[in-house]
Amino acid sequence: MGMANAVLWSRLKSPWVLHFNSGACNGCDIEVVALLTPKYDVERFGIKLEPSPRHADVLLVTGSVTQQCAERLKRIYDQMPEPKFVVAIGACACAGGVFRGNYNVLNGVDQVIPVNAYIPGCPPKPEAIIDGVVKLLNSLKPEKTAREGKKK
Amino acid sequence: MSNTAIDIVDILQTKFKDTLVQVQPAQLGKATVLANSSTHRDVLKVLLEADERTAVSAITGIDLITTIGVFYHIRTAKGGIITIKTEVPKEGPRINTISDLIPGAAFHEMEVADLLGVVFVGNPSSGRLVLPDNWPDDVFPLRKDAKLDNLKMKDAPSGETEPSGETNTVKIIVGPQHPALLEPEKFALKVEGEIVKGVEPRIGYVHRGVEKAAESRTYLQDVYLVERICGICNTCHASCFVETVEKILKTEVPPRAKYIRTILLELNRLHSHLLTLGHAGLEIGYETLFQYFWRDREPIMDITEIITGNRVISSSLTVGGVRSDINETDIPKIKTMLANLRKRLPFYKRIYADEPSLKMRMRNVGTLKRADALALCIVGPTARGSGVDIDVRKDEPYEAYGEIPFKVITRDSGDTWARMNVRMDEVEESINIIEYALDHLPTGPFRVRAPRVVPAGEAVNRVEAPRGELFYYVKSNGTAYPERVKVRTPTFANIPAFLKTAIGGNIADVPANFVSLDPCFSCTDR
Amino acid sequence: MALDAFFFIRVLIFPGFTFILFFTMFCDWVERKIEARMQNRVGPAVAGPHGILQPLADFMKLLTKEDIVPLDAKQILFKVSPIISFSVLVFAMSLLPIDGSSAIPDASFSGDLIFIMALVTIANFLLFLSGWASSNPYGSIGATRVLTQFLGYDIPLMILALGPAFLAGSLSIAGIAAGQFLPFIVLAPWAFVLFVITLQAELEKDPFDIPHADSEVVGGLETEYCGGKLAFLHLTRDVQIVFGAALVVELFLGGPYGPVFFGVPEFWYTLWFVLKLLVVVVISEYLTTLFARLRIDQVVTANWKILLPLSLAAFALTVALGVWVYPMLV
Repeated sequence: MGMANAVLWSRLKSPWVLHFNSGACNGCDIEVVALLTPKYDVERFGIKLEPSPRHADVLLVTGSVTQQCAERLKRIYDQMPEPKFVVAIGACACAGGVFRGNYNVLNGVDQVIPVNAYIPGCPPKPEAIIDGVVKLLNSLKPEKTAREGKKK
Repeated sequence: MSNTAIDIVDILQTKFKDTLVQVQPAQLGKATVLANSSTHRDVLKVLLEADERTAVSAITGIDLITTIGVFYHIRTAKGGIITIKTEVPKEGPRINTISDLIPGAAFHEMEVADLLGVVFVGNPSSGRLVLPDNWPDDVFPLRKDAKLDNLKMKDAPSGETEPSGETNTVKIIVGPQHPALLEPEKFALKVEGEIVKGVEPRIGYVHRGVEKAAESRTYLQDVYLVERICGICNTCHASCFVETVEKILKTEVPPRAKYIRTILLELNRLHSHLLTLGHAGLEIGYETLFQYFWRDREPIMDITEIITGNRVISSSLTVGGVRSDINETDIPKIKTMLANLRKRLPFYKRIYADEPSLKMRMRNVGTLKRADALALCIVGPTARGSGVDIDVRKDEPYEAYGEIPFKVITRDSGDTWARMNVRMDEVEESINIIEYALDHLPTGPFRVRAPRVVPAGEAVNRVEAPRGELFYYVKSNGTAYPERVKVRTPTFANIPAFLKTAIGGNIADVPANFVSLDPCFSCTDR
Repeated sequence: MALDAFFFIRVLIFPGFTFILFFTMFCDWVERKIEARMQNRVGPAVAGPHGILQPLADFMKLLTKEDIVPLDAKQILFKVSPIISFSVLVFAMSLLPIDGSSAIPDASFSGDLIFIMALVTIANFLLFLSGWASSNPYGSIGATRVLTQFLGYDIPLMILALGPAFLAGSLSIAGIAAGQFLPFIVLAPWAFVLFVITLQAELEKDPFDIPHADSEVVGGLETEYCGGKLAFLHLTRDVQIVFGAALVVELFLGGPYGPVFFGVPEFWYTLWFVLKLLVVVVISEYLTTLFARLRIDQVVTANWKILLPLSLAAFALTVALGVWVYPMLV
């Protein structure tokens, strides 16, 4: 029991992210990169931007997935080791955004790979992205029963 | 050797007086020349002889039902755009290339070939440009009769082909997922040892079909659409589009709106340049520089948020003016933030001018000679770093730029270092422009109501985006929906510069070289 | 050397394996905090008080990830090199006098300076093999860069290390550490400065960190690795940094020896060792954060045309002073 808790603790405290742009306008991407800068500094949460899919736990996807990117996105997702999570950032990644219905666009990340968290916005503010990632991490914690909650 | 635009029109009129070629002054830019597929090269030769700085700004392809129009928008030195209109039959659209006269035109021709199916006889390149590899061969999206539902995609080609013959050459694929690139694009570098011998670009990973989508949305909806072509230079796209539509409508925008638009455009330039200057640090392993620059960029985002309510995509421009005003009470706060940024500038200028490890990575790297910059039709700080003095804000002033004093920054060495320093100096100029505009903000309305239905007509317009000249061509057919919106972004025009400067350099120089070009692929692919 | 409880405690717990492991993680945290503070940021802050448990969280998380071995990789080499590399470095570290004597009791012998440097070379070579075994173009390029760099910089490093050896009159590290009546940083400051710079290159830190240039070679030699093997690759790199700093402490800063105030001398020796090592880590990280990354041809030029001649000159100067000037001071 203690071991499982320790493992969960380490996963919550050390989520390494890989950022992939599947055909976005760059608005969401620069807000994601801004997370690393002094004003928002997500290294506090142990979040590191990794270069290789093999090293990452969380895949941050922006963009409405163009035809050309779809296969690459799938391949990158497959290269990541378990346990892995996908966060769709921005209106385009959630459902296609302004480009929904265009001829070269697949209308959202969940058409290609399973998504664990959707962060809407065009682009979402960095605070919203941090909020989304923290909510995703919190959702990994086991549910407390009513009895345990009252114990305090 | 530079002639004013009037002279060029006179020259054209005299040259082609009794021929089939018609010259219409003050139409679609400075003049429109109605030529055909056998005379367009002659017109171009006349323009090239008049001034060596003539360049291709864009090539628009447009479906005119029975024919396909191929319009060459030529940028004269200081005189504005001259459009050469030609038409080719829809069945068998062929026209001679102009890429032997102006090498920079090759890329533009490829795009018209890709999206409309026009064959440019003599163009050395082939293959897909913006459409994906598995796009069916006979569907051309920009044609009016293109059937885009239920497309049968081809089987995608499997992986990379090995370089033939030479055994020393290794192909290194950069992208589409790569830490150096914020966006997905693929560059196949052929290297021998550590020296780059060739570059094959494959763009189109971010092609979202904006030009086609613009035709099925109203003009107001299109403002939101074109803003999102690129999140970084979004205000420039919006402003270029609305200005083009205002030219067709012949709407006069109130002076206060022009000043507010200028302020927003310069804020866009500030945040974009600070972004690039910091990103350059990441590329050469200088993380600390990246963190400092982006820390100082945050106040610019805050200023944009104070004025418009949004950090990145301002959504504040509209046909007829701007959607929200600048509060008088906010102005002192904005000026304080700008003053703080100005205080940091000497520190950053010293770094980009003197810091040894930065100079080692950037001096004499990726040198673009002035002659090449002119031949390849390069725009923006990339061209200004090679001594080419072009800036749409000075050449053809728009908004309030005609009334605000500022300098155009150029450098001569043409290497990565020069290009980054041009941007560094432009940061200071932008702060000057914004402060001047805030001090001289005219009173009055910030918006006039424009009609929803635009009368038939067409117009071209250019603005100076952070990366260079942004070009729009809009044609309206009298309904609430545009007939054609053509966007030519600065990075699209500048990619040939990278293809030229990467060859002969180290692999290790490729990221630094690349970032000095300030590429924005969402702009390129649309 | 009896294989009794004393031996196992020294080797496995203190000052052996466990101590080295946790001390490495602590130094990793120190580095990340310094880099963050210099960049106007906070750095790790959530895992434990002030984020001190962050490296432990990273390590544990990596151990519990799925282990993927590419089909194309050279299977045995791929799986085994990271751990052997790490073990070699820990073995080298346990030969250094940390609390007055080495973790493996009575392990110092004359010439162990050269033996330990050879061990580090072997560990680096195994890192190269890991990158090469992953059959990934980025892995191969990263591995080749590691090889080029450490093979080149080993030479000036060795030459500079001989300076203190000469001054102390001994080729064993324990002997050099003990023979510093005045820390050699005072007697041969030029050698200290050059040694620290060469060490930056050996440890692949800015401005010499091209093997880890993620804008050029993605993950470098680590690109294909994931899970537990990646954890050991990271640990190898971190232990190498601690080992390099420990070498500086032993050769130039007087080793673990310092004033003993009360109680057990081992406690004070460990304390001085830790403090001096942290000073070196801070200096090294400061240099890392300060500079951009040099290109590989610039790195190679810096080695053969600048550092090598300078290190020979430094050695000559140290010997000259040691023969003619310093004996007059003693």
